[in-house]
Amino acid sequence: MTATEAVVQTESRRSPPRRGGPPQRSDGRALRRSPLASVGLHAALIMASFIAIFPIFWVLVTSFKPDENALETTPKLINEPTVNNYSEVLAGDFGPFLTWFGNSLLIAGLTTVIGVFISATTAYAVSRFRFPGRRSMMLSFLVMQMFPFVVLIVPLYNLLLTFGLQGSVIGLVLVYCTTAIPFCTYLLKGYFDTIPIDIDEAGRVDGLSPFGVFWRLILPLARPGIAVTAFYAFLTAWGEVGFASAFLSGNSEGKTLAVGLQSFVSQTQVLWGHLAAASILIALPAVVVFYLVQRSLVSGLAAGGVKG
Amino acid sequence: MAQVAYRKASRIFPGSPPVRAVDQLDLDIADGEFLVLVGPSGSGKSTALRMLAGLEDVDEGNIEIAGQDVTNVPPKGRDIAMVFQSYALYPHMTVAQNMGFALKLRGVSKDQIQSKVQEAAKLLDLSELLDRRPKALSGGQRQRVAMGRAIVREPSVFLMDEPLSNLDAKLRVETRANIASLQRRLRTTTVYVTHDQVEAMTMGDRVAVLESGLLKQVGTPAELYERPRNAFVAGFIGSPAMNLKTVPLTADGAKLDGLTVPLPREVLDVAAEQGLSSVIVGIRPESLRVASEGENGMELVVELVEELGADAFVYGTVRIAGDSQRFTVRVEGRSSPKLAETVKVTVRDSDDLHAFSPETGERLG
Amino acid sequence: MVTSTAEGTSQGRGATAPRPWGRLGAFLHRHWYAYAMVIPVVVVVGVIVLIPLLQNIYFSFTNINDSTIANPVLDRPARYEVVGLDNYGNVLSGDPSYGDFYDILVRTLLWTFGSVVFHYLFGLVLAVMLNRTLKGRGLYRVLLILPWAVPAFVSAFAWRYLFNADYGLFNAGLRGIGVADPPTWLGQSNLAMFAVIVVNIWLGVPFTMVALLGGLQSIPNELYEAAEIDGATPWQRFANVTLPGLRSVSATVILLGVIWTFNVFSVIFLITGTNNPNTRILITYAFERFFSGSTRDYAIAATYGVLTLSMLLVFTTIYLRVLRRQGEEAW
Repeated sequence: MTATEAVVQTESRRSPPRRGGPPQRSDGRALRRSPLASVGLHAALIMASFIAIFPIFWVLVTSFKPDENALETTPKLINEPTVNNYSEVLAGDFGPFLTWFGNSLLIAGLTTVIGVFISATTAYAVSRFRFPGRRSMMLSFLVMQMFPFVVLIVPLYNLLLTFGLQGSVIGLVLVYCTTAIPFCTYLLKGYFDTIPIDIDEAGRVDGLSPFGVFWRLILPLARPGIAVTAFYAFLTAWGEVGFASAFLSGNSEGKTLAVGLQSFVSQTQVLWGHLAAASILIALPAVVVFYLVQRSLVSGLAAGGVKG
Repeated sequence: MAQVAYRKASRIFPGSPPVRAVDQLDLDIADGEFLVLVGPSGSGKSTALRMLAGLEDVDEGNIEIAGQDVTNVPPKGRDIAMVFQSYALYPHMTVAQNMGFALKLRGVSKDQIQSKVQEAAKLLDLSELLDRRPKALSGGQRQRVAMGRAIVREPSVFLMDEPLSNLDAKLRVETRANIASLQRRLRTTTVYVTHDQVEAMTMGDRVAVLESGLLKQVGTPAELYERPRNAFVAGFIGSPAMNLKTVPLTADGAKLDGLTVPLPREVLDVAAEQGLSSVIVGIRPESLRVASEGENGMELVVELVEELGADAFVYGTVRIAGDSQRFTVRVEGRSSPKLAETVKVTVRDSDDLHAFSPETGERLG
Repeated sequence: MVTSTAEGTSQGRGATAPRPWGRLGAFLHRHWYAYAMVIPVVVVVGVIVLIPLLQNIYFSFTNINDSTIANPVLDRPARYEVVGLDNYGNVLSGDPSYGDFYDILVRTLLWTFGSVVFHYLFGLVLAVMLNRTLKGRGLYRVLLILPWAVPAFVSAFAWRYLFNADYGLFNAGLRGIGVADPPTWLGQSNLAMFAVIVVNIWLGVPFTMVALLGGLQSIPNELYEAAEIDGATPWQRFANVTLPGLRSVSATVILLGVIWTFNVFSVIFLITGTNNPNTRILITYAFERFFSGSTRDYAIAATYGVLTLSMLLVFTTIYLRVLRRQGEEAW
């Protein structure tokens, strides 16, 4: 940054801050739309929504069918509906489902908390401080995403072995965090950039340390950004198969849901009804997390993706 | 309460070449004083304030508050409160929480915070709004909350960074008076930054004028108005601005078109001493008048007349040494000249003239 | 930004307060808050990415495989050797026994650009529609983003079931309209590539849509009003207000889209597995060399990884340079 820029920016940052969500389009526009255009718009959106949810809906439908009915050449929507698939999966007929579920929840939860927290501190430093290495750090985050991570399984395995983390939950969580960190940091940095620095400075004058500012002012204000990041981190860990099968201990009790189910798929190729029920059960927590954060998704991602 | 001192304090923004945003500022602010830092944008006034707040590095020199060197003290250790231009209210806290936040951080008891917040709220007419969030407030209300947040702290120094610039014109005038009277009542040392010289003149006990990081003059509003120490201050203070013209110097005074204005002896002496053949002469619009019949004067071609009721400002051009020069003249409201008319203008009282060196811009005599 | 914004600004350097610990001390004093906040990420990322990555690059110059790697169980020391650029030579020769590199590359490009182009097109159209004021907007938004929230594992299952040749819904539909012999979608033909691209598009549209929707909402309404007053038709408003307003989001979304799609592993792995040559892309082939087969050719897998990284680096460098010339920035 040149000196003149610095001076110009001292002045320009005095402009009133842009807070809150982006302005919504006024209602005037809708009133002027012809009825035909409205019908067309709704038709297109209904169609798109249908395509978006149909595959999942079909799994839901199938999950209530007995296995053999799931294999009919002319599938019916409802065919001897039963909840047996669910009860059998939950009862552990195909492995300790609930244990796996708990493992997955623990791993995804830890990934979310740790990943979001350390991404947030990093993003805050990048957003607020001009320290040497700042730009190169962000660029290396971009480069990190270019490498096919699965190929690193062997070196990673050796590494985790060296640290005694092979087979442990923490090892896997750290690997997941690493894959989530670049994008999370980028997103949160974008969000923090939209919070006026005056807020930080007011906090400092009021008696906060830089850490205090981050913890008591910035984090609460960045909720939408945090929500998207948490969603992203959760999804990174939830349902991942490759690393989970390589880095968790071999015994059945230690598996995650996705890994457990993966083995169940290979054993039981034809149990589509049960598989469908298990899939729905796996999808459920992710959908719940999604529902919790969905209001923040647009504004959270907007600030991250849109510069200025 | 405390006095404040800048001791050759500089802030240098790195770059090539580095920019001295504030250059060796030397300034003493007395206990309880209301000092206004004024200057055009880029003059370093905000930077100077932020250095005092601890939000900006002090690259050279020192800053003292209450006799203590605070150059290396972080903001929270300086016992200051600041009102920001954007107000910087915490959006996720209510008005009461905003005002009480600093006290809470210092571990003041809840009851005490509550009573102090209520007291300040009463003072600022915010009692009804304590449970609202900043988003639900009008601009004027937000401004008052920002003031309240500063007052509740009972700091030794108030810092205000253009706190009125986001208000509409009417509210600004009103709030200006409120802040000034509040400060007189609390007697808390206050440093106030503005680019608006009217604010500076009406509010400050003393005014410090900055330009390009340099302190141009500090003094009471009357001093700045009556005896500007240099051409910059002369042109900056007063509205409409003083007429500042570089004109040839004769044995008796300055030569303006058909008019030679006499300059005081000491001015002429100093000018002669410095070997000047021309001089910047400064004449406030109110020091000019329309010449009466047969009097000598400058021929002013009227381009714009601003009627203000009681009086009017006439803007026009005068040809001096072949160049057309702009002048502003204050006239009686009822007898203002018409557009495109040519009027003869002369100086009301030659004691009201200011003269500056064209080389240094410094006042002569 | 001002250099010192919120950081420790409390130091007087130079004349007034000479630092007791010299220049390094001053440096640390100035930036320690920032470094304290980035250190966890730097350590975690450095250890978990950098070390394996460097090791991987080294592997690509050796003949490491299952029989030459150190095996602590068998108490066998490492026996692999540095073979220079042999791996790169073999792979880049296009030799089928090293994966028919150029064929895979073409498929990878098809997969990547096919996906990204449609992610962007569908995402843009849906975002523009969702940005209008209309009833049920919130519901549409939830439904349209849903595919993003579903774990890849489950989505893959859903689509595999739909595409199934015998009892999948698609073929049931085709039979219903009189196609006697509907195709085997996920078999050994290019239809399989088509199918996985369709799935990947379905998976990726929500992210693009949400990002673009955010971009749309940050375009000031005044611009549309000004354009309307200037007499712009709806299409002209879209071309002259909407699209330029989306430039910076689009730049980022497309860059990330390309990088991510290039290395999407789970979709193909979960739908057609790694043994279908018709859906082979660089990353799945690397994985295939890695895990399947008796050889476990780590060296070739590593080589593929390094080649992928290099290609994306070149692409990104050019992309960012072109963007910068147009005054935009991504990432």
